[in-house]
Amino acid sequence: MDLFDRLKDLREQGLAEIKEAESEKSLNDVRVKLVGKKGELTQILHQMKDVAPEKRREVGQKVNELRDLFNEKLASAKDNLIEKAIEARLEAEKIDVTLPGRRKHVGSKHPIRIIQDDLERFFIGMSYQVVQGPEIESEHYNFEMLNLPKDHPARDMQATFYVDADHLLRSQTSPVQARTMEKHDFDKGDLKMISPGKVYRRDDDDATHSHQFMQMEGLVVGKNISLSDLKGTLELVAKHEFGQDRETRLRPSYFPFTEPSVEMDVSCFECGGKGCAICKNTGWIEVLGAGIVHPNVLSAAGIDPSVYSGFAFGLGLDRFAILKYGIDDIRDFYSDDVRFLQQFRQEED
Amino acid sequence: MLVSYNWLKDFLNMDGVDPYALAEKLTRSGVEIASTVHPEDGLSKLVVGHILTCEKIEGTHLNKTTVDVGEDEARQIVCGAPNVAAGQDVIVALPGAHLPGGIKIKKGKLRGIESNGMICGLQELGFSDSVVPPKYADGIWVFHDPDLKPGDSVFAALGMDDYVLDFDITPNRADTSSMEGAAYEVGALIDQKPKIEDVVLKEDGADWTGDFTAVADEKIAPKYYLRKLTGVKIAESPLWLQVRLWNAGIRPINNVVDATNYVMLLTGQPMHAYDAKLFDKTKKIEVRLAKEGEKLQLLNEKEIDLDPQDIVITDGEQAVGLAGVMGGLNSEVTEETTDVILEAAVFDPALTRKAALRHDNRTDASALFEKGINWDNTQKALDICALILRANAGATVLAGEIKASDLDKEAVVITTTASRTNKILGTDLSMDEIVKILGKLNFPVAVNGDEYTVTVPNRRWDIFIDSDIFEEVGRIYGYDNIKSTHPATGELIGGYAADEVKVRHLRQLLEGQGLSETINYSLTSEELATTFVKKALAPVKVNWPLNSARTTMRQNLICGLLDTVAYNFARKQTELQLFENGRVYDMEGGDYHEHEHLAAAYVGLAGESNWQHKDEVVDFYYVKGQLEDVFEMIGVKDVEYRAEAIKGMHPTRTAGIYVNDEYIGLIGQISPVLTMTDKNFAGKEIYVYELNLDALLPLMAKGVKSKPAPKYPAVQRDLSILVDEDVTNAQVESCIKENAGKYLVSVEVIDVYQGAHLAAGKKSLAYRLTFLNEAETLTDAVVTKATDNVQAALEEKLEANIR
Repeated sequence: MDLFDRLKDLREQGLAEIKEAESEKSLNDVRVKLVGKKGELTQILHQMKDVAPEKRREVGQKVNELRDLFNEKLASAKDNLIEKAIEARLEAEKIDVTLPGRRKHVGSKHPIRIIQDDLERFFIGMSYQVVQGPEIESEHYNFEMLNLPKDHPARDMQATFYVDADHLLRSQTSPVQARTMEKHDFDKGDLKMISPGKVYRRDDDDATHSHQFMQMEGLVVGKNISLSDLKGTLELVAKHEFGQDRETRLRPSYFPFTEPSVEMDVSCFECGGKGCAICKNTGWIEVLGAGIVHPNVLSAAGIDPSVYSGFAFGLGLDRFAILKYGIDDIRDFYSDDVRFLQQFRQEED
Repeated sequence: MLVSYNWLKDFLNMDGVDPYALAEKLTRSGVEIASTVHPEDGLSKLVVGHILTCEKIEGTHLNKTTVDVGEDEARQIVCGAPNVAAGQDVIVALPGAHLPGGIKIKKGKLRGIESNGMICGLQELGFSDSVVPPKYADGIWVFHDPDLKPGDSVFAALGMDDYVLDFDITPNRADTSSMEGAAYEVGALIDQKPKIEDVVLKEDGADWTGDFTAVADEKIAPKYYLRKLTGVKIAESPLWLQVRLWNAGIRPINNVVDATNYVMLLTGQPMHAYDAKLFDKTKKIEVRLAKEGEKLQLLNEKEIDLDPQDIVITDGEQAVGLAGVMGGLNSEVTEETTDVILEAAVFDPALTRKAALRHDNRTDASALFEKGINWDNTQKALDICALILRANAGATVLAGEIKASDLDKEAVVITTTASRTNKILGTDLSMDEIVKILGKLNFPVAVNGDEYTVTVPNRRWDIFIDSDIFEEVGRIYGYDNIKSTHPATGELIGGYAADEVKVRHLRQLLEGQGLSETINYSLTSEELATTFVKKALAPVKVNWPLNSARTTMRQNLICGLLDTVAYNFARKQTELQLFENGRVYDMEGGDYHEHEHLAAAYVGLAGESNWQHKDEVVDFYYVKGQLEDVFEMIGVKDVEYRAEAIKGMHPTRTAGIYVNDEYIGLIGQISPVLTMTDKNFAGKEIYVYELNLDALLPLMAKGVKSKPAPKYPAVQRDLSILVDEDVTNAQVESCIKENAGKYLVSVEVIDVYQGAHLAAGKKSLAYRLTFLNEAETLTDAVVTKATDNVQAALEEKLEANIR
């Protein structure tokens, strides 16, 4: 057999062995045998001296070609084997992706707080300051400064928690108005504030009454503040809180600390105004009280009512949450069943 | 106040005025209309019937009647009412008639006797029990009106064709608590001047004022007018008058009582009628404050002990009425009454209100007096009432009246300008428009340039200042017509005070840690208010608590969280991670103090339980880890935990939390004494912490100055020591920190062991010390020197064996 035939046989045999190798080890054995230092191709080269000189060049070329071919096939066979091994391992690692994950507890914001935070951001966006005041308040700020002199029917001892002869748990957030106006330096600009917080009334707790609840007070005082400014502001609040397509109406009302006084209704978001149980068939839902700050209130705070005017509004955060989320028992806010609390998570932003 | 649309027609031309549209208009411009009711709505086939025959059905309470209902033949109807009788004109529901509550009348048989309809009482037509005249309360209604014919619809006769508008009157608009007041209000809105007429009374009896005296103190009764009528024959009032009363929610009683109520409805002036016989002896009426120990039995038979601040009407000796509230039983008008003394007066609003409250006896009259009444209507009310009694009770009006007091009220005069009106309302009204609006209210106005002066009639006693006028102008102009604008306040920056931002940041952090926010009551029991605190302070208590569980303002938030835990446990929710941010209250040193706090409570597993059983149960160290994370996130460093005994807390699993030696809160387990004995807690371990934010907020880091991440590697060395079991980690850590040199950046506890492999009373602790030099690579020599120092110090100070 001449070298050309041997090369031809080796080519067929080698390719078959590469193909048949089933592990990286056996493939390596094949590699050593074919292209190793003592392998078949090397041996053929060693026999070159027996080849006619004019054919040596050709043999050399053929050997090199075959070496390249073997190396190429060996490399791809090796890649193939590694890939298979990985595949096998990954298959063995299979899990049931439909089993549930391991969960931590997920926190939640109190529904009243959701309303409060949202309104705070809304008003801050309109350059209102958020101001706090004491909950144990003097009669002076809770009543007198708000145009509720002694003997005013709204000052019934029955309705308010007194802690001593002159102090009480504030029955409204309005005293913060008086405190803020008293301190405000109008030389540094007009006053725009809101004040959220707890208030207390001497009511027995039931589905619609709570001896403790939360209000938010708003106040704007400047040289040119009018009822139309109040109307524009309240409409924005209503649309922000209850939907852009809500209609609003202002009704005359009465509060000792504002004159004129109004209440705002929004068209019922349940029935759209046709009348239903939620709006008591009126098509309207009362959402807040407001008005032009009474001149006596301005004067009491040392502000000249002939120069300055202002508007004020007060809204119930509990009431907003009740309306917005369709809550039917105010006690749910304070008994805090976690299943009740956690349903509002999606409302947070 | 229930206002009858039909009655308004006495004062205004209501043609083309839709009652429902009027209600909406009133709501938007004057007084909220809570409801508009048309009593006949949904009812049908209710006619007048004349009972021809009526005979008892043996062995039953039923009667077989034949009734003429205006058809060719009389109908046979079985009726069970006790007061049914032949000759009566009654209400008949014909077969097919619809009654309230979806009831439909059918032909039928009662005890085998055919009945072609039903004879009705007023309640069956939807009348409230509270307005049905006593005589007809337990039976059928009987008409006494000769104009009614069998077959006529009953709706008009009974006033059910009316529309009743429920005026939900705010305290300042008590002027609309009468038909005349309502007519002024409606007139202003439909631009008509109401016909409010004065009365002319011609007296027809002898003068009675000669031998009767009346005394009243102007301060408590600024007006006190009396008239006397004789020959009164007590009877039912005519139907039209009864209809007006019951549509206003007032029960007709008899012609005298009805007349006083009618006049009150018409004019807003409460009236009272006394049986004159009571005064025969003293011939005197005196209005004064009650004396200590005086008693009075009211018309409703309630016995009251009079208070020296009650205004009483007396006959000069004994009390005969609680002024402005209710008459006395001793002076009641009865079936036997022939002579009456009529009273029309103005009583002090505050005294009347307090008397009604004090004796828990509010009445329509007291409600009117306390909100004020029209001082100009006293005479008119008295005279109209006399006229009605003459017409309805055949009374003779004796000549003369007695005015024990008669104080006049000056009209309020207000001067302001059109420009100020527009400035406050945000409108652009001309003087003509303003004058026209005030004209609709029938307020006299005088104009002088930009200035105008309004003379406010006494019937509008709610108006004192220019702002009140602006309200009138604004509402009649219509709030719907006012533009929507936004305050032009110049440049202002909105936002939170710095501490408010920090508090909200903390709330977010806790929520992010998986805690649910709660809001609990500030009021709790005195016991709980002062538990769970390092030091109880002087408590703030309310004067009249609603119940014993809510007497005292809380000094801690944990008590509220425990309420929430108990509430949830009772509802089988036992995996809880809760927090609250709120205030606590005390009056240490005699002043009231409020402090912002933050507290959390943990019960159960740290995460949701899972099928892989990789559950972690909450314990002290879990909660402490959460709190340490919070401190890390707000940049509060060098927090110390000192074992401490605090009321309500586990005595050996509670720590006071300190920063720079200042107490800022506590962490630990709720005392098992509490959780084991209270069945709500089922013996579960509850872990809590509570922080005083007043102390913590100032420690919170503000502002970040960035520096690059370290370029050189840190070096770690582990250190294992054996110490007495009483040696605390804090002691070891501080010893390490004091002696490890300036390159020590952290000390981490990596193992704590105490048990079989160690000598009794000993424990093994292992620490990982991390060293870092930010300027260059640390050499082994430096680190070794540092750890040698540490080891030497531990051996010397804590008698530690290095392992």
